[in-house]
Amino acid sequence: MSKPKDSTDDGDRRAFITKATVGVSAACSVFPFAAGVPAFLDPVSGNGDNVDEVPWSKVAPLSALPEDGTPTRFGIVRERVTDAWTTLTNVPVGAVYIIKLGEKVKAFNLKCPHLGCAIDHRSDRSDFFCPCHNSSFSLDGSVSDDASPSPRGMDGLETKIEDGFVYVRFQQFRPNLADKVPLT
Amino acid sequence: MKAVIDWLDDRSGFRTLIKEALYEKVPGGARWRYVWGSCLTFAFFAQVVTGTLLWMFYSPSTQTAWESVYFLQYHVWGGWFLRGIHHYMAQAMVVLLVLHLMQVVIDGAYKAPRELNFWFGIALMGVTLGLSLTGYLLPWDQKGYWATAVATNLIAEVPLVGVYLQKLVIGGTEYGHHTVTRFFALHAGVLPSALIALVVGHIYLFRRHGIHAKEPRPKRDSYFWPDQVLKDAVACLAVALAVIVLTIYFHGAPLGPPADPANEFPARPEWYFLFLFQLLKYVPAFWGAIIIPAFVVLLMFAQPFIGKSEKGHRFNIGFLWCLLIGAGALTFLAFSEDRANKKHFAAVEEADWLSKRVVEIADKQGIPPSGAVTLLREDHENRARRLFSSNCASCHLYNGHDGRGFPVDSNQSAPDLAGVASREWLEELLDYDHYVSTKYFGGTAFKDGKMATKVLKKFDEKEKALVPKVAALLSDIAGLPYQKPLSEKDKEEGFDVFFDDLVCIDCHDIEDEGEGSAPDLTGYGSRDWLTAIVGDPSHERFYGKDNDRMPSFARDEKLTDEEIGILVDWLRSKPSTNSEVR
Repeated sequence: MSKPKDSTDDGDRRAFITKATVGVSAACSVFPFAAGVPAFLDPVSGNGDNVDEVPWSKVAPLSALPEDGTPTRFGIVRERVTDAWTTLTNVPVGAVYIIKLGEKVKAFNLKCPHLGCAIDHRSDRSDFFCPCHNSSFSLDGSVSDDASPSPRGMDGLETKIEDGFVYVRFQQFRPNLADKVPLT
Repeated sequence: MKAVIDWLDDRSGFRTLIKEALYEKVPGGARWRYVWGSCLTFAFFAQVVTGTLLWMFYSPSTQTAWESVYFLQYHVWGGWFLRGIHHYMAQAMVVLLVLHLMQVVIDGAYKAPRELNFWFGIALMGVTLGLSLTGYLLPWDQKGYWATAVATNLIAEVPLVGVYLQKLVIGGTEYGHHTVTRFFALHAGVLPSALIALVVGHIYLFRRHGIHAKEPRPKRDSYFWPDQVLKDAVACLAVALAVIVLTIYFHGAPLGPPADPANEFPARPEWYFLFLFQLLKYVPAFWGAIIIPAFVVLLMFAQPFIGKSEKGHRFNIGFLWCLLIGAGALTFLAFSEDRANKKHFAAVEEADWLSKRVVEIADKQGIPPSGAVTLLREDHENRARRLFSSNCASCHLYNGHDGRGFPVDSNQSAPDLAGVASREWLEELLDYDHYVSTKYFGGTAFKDGKMATKVLKKFDEKEKALVPKVAALLSDIAGLPYQKPLSEKDKEEGFDVFFDDLVCIDCHDIEDEGEGSAPDLTGYGSRDWLTAIVGDPSHERFYGKDNDRMPSFARDEKLTDEEIGILVDWLRSKPSTNSEVR
């Protein structure tokens, strides 16, 4: 390179060109990423969050539940579910354990509050047990063994009985927290 | 920091690499005419990035492709913008390709020892056009579907293996899931990989032979960095800005109605393929799609050899200009033919309407797993327009068109039914000049009937002044959803005119009174009345034996009750004025 000596003007010019080149090149490189940033971040923007009230799902006739309080597992079918662009009708969205206590019922989400595995009911021991990480829960849903990794008891769900049928407000909660925080 | 960089350099030698990349000599100094290659590389980079982001939203199947694009376009934050950038950058790439090619040939940069690199360039052009073609189908809208079907039908023209090649490309004999999955694999996998491989070769060869300086050299030699890089970067930024402006101006890329093999669509390729489309109007497909393009490509491959002599070089430049001007002329012809074609205009208008309509319905009621195309097939307004067009428009018009917005070839012979039973429509009908015009009964036997010759024609000024009152009364009986009901007083006045002043009751019954032979106006224009007259106009209650050619759609089972109901509801709704065709 033939750089003329003692020409500060030229030196300034070169410094400016270098800066401009770096700046414009950087702008060009960033541009295509920037074009997609909002779309990419859409899932955390709150745009698709479900703000509707949790609907009641009809689960089973009260008479189908054992009188002795043995938990029974039922699937939850929701009338209308929207998955991105598709609107589905009568879709199984999860499962619950229902326990009859006299004229009342209790419902637990099948998912383990630890990390979301499906919880088994062990009839021989009359308790609940998660086969993934060995959390165990008693029939009232509370953690029954101090060695259980689950930070909270099983997720109870709101229930009601109407015309002899059990209804549940089925929802999911954030896993691995001591508190029950609904997923939206 | 310096220690880390030194360590990295020691282990990788990246400083030498950067130095080699940046301190390429530019004989004759940096010039704007050298920017096109960099712009193309930049455009491709932008396509890879935006394409990968689009990939996160796209679902390739016939029931989810359009739907996922719809969701991105209308329900994802900034989705329309991302899609728009990808769409318009693809178009910019085609323009840049032409500029790059012209610069290389005009400057003589294709000649020895750069023949091989010129061929790489031609291959790159082919791959880029392949990317455009495959990308056009992916939204699975009517436009992409019908236009790409033409392109894949042309594959069958390839000698010997054409039919098999076509099956391979579309994944079977008919368009379906595997067409989408294959086109997507080509568009996002095969072709970009090929392009990257070719670009690497292209840039390697370019570096090996260095920049071909266009004489005379304006300045003393300089280096790629920073002078030429600045010019390149500024040009790239200008491309990016142009693409942003286009995206914002057109509010992103268009999305037509979902692909529907059962409904025709004016198939047009993207604008830069229009010259080929137009060419196929003049020459057989085999010539237009195989022989001529093959000849052009072969000739381009031979250009480095033709260009050895000065004359040959001038021929090469002339050939490319002819090609460009020819393609430009064909493109112009394609556009102007379409512009002069009223049916094409109507088809485009209808497609616009359908694409808005389907989005409206999808936003409101969601898309079933069977896909958005079922929303349109079940939409009453769309069905009504189509039913009218195929069952009624051979005699009746709707606002001067066939119900769907298309001009009608044959003369109208029965009344225009847009706004039927509305006050305005009735006032016109009951005016003699209008009554006997083709817009109403001019094409029917009723032109010379009693109503025309003995009644309307004979009205004096005073009687004519009373006509709006009857029109208002009848329209009130119709109870159209977009008209206000009459006050009791006006209604009474209307009946007075009907019974006493104009004595319509002599021929027409109304509200079950009278014994006339003309159509019974009891419940005139109501859903029941219209359903009945469409169902059987030859019934005594209506025209009886005087019925002039109108089929009995229900009696003869030409239409189901449901279809007649859909038609009648549509006729009773407010006529849209935007689709009026003159």
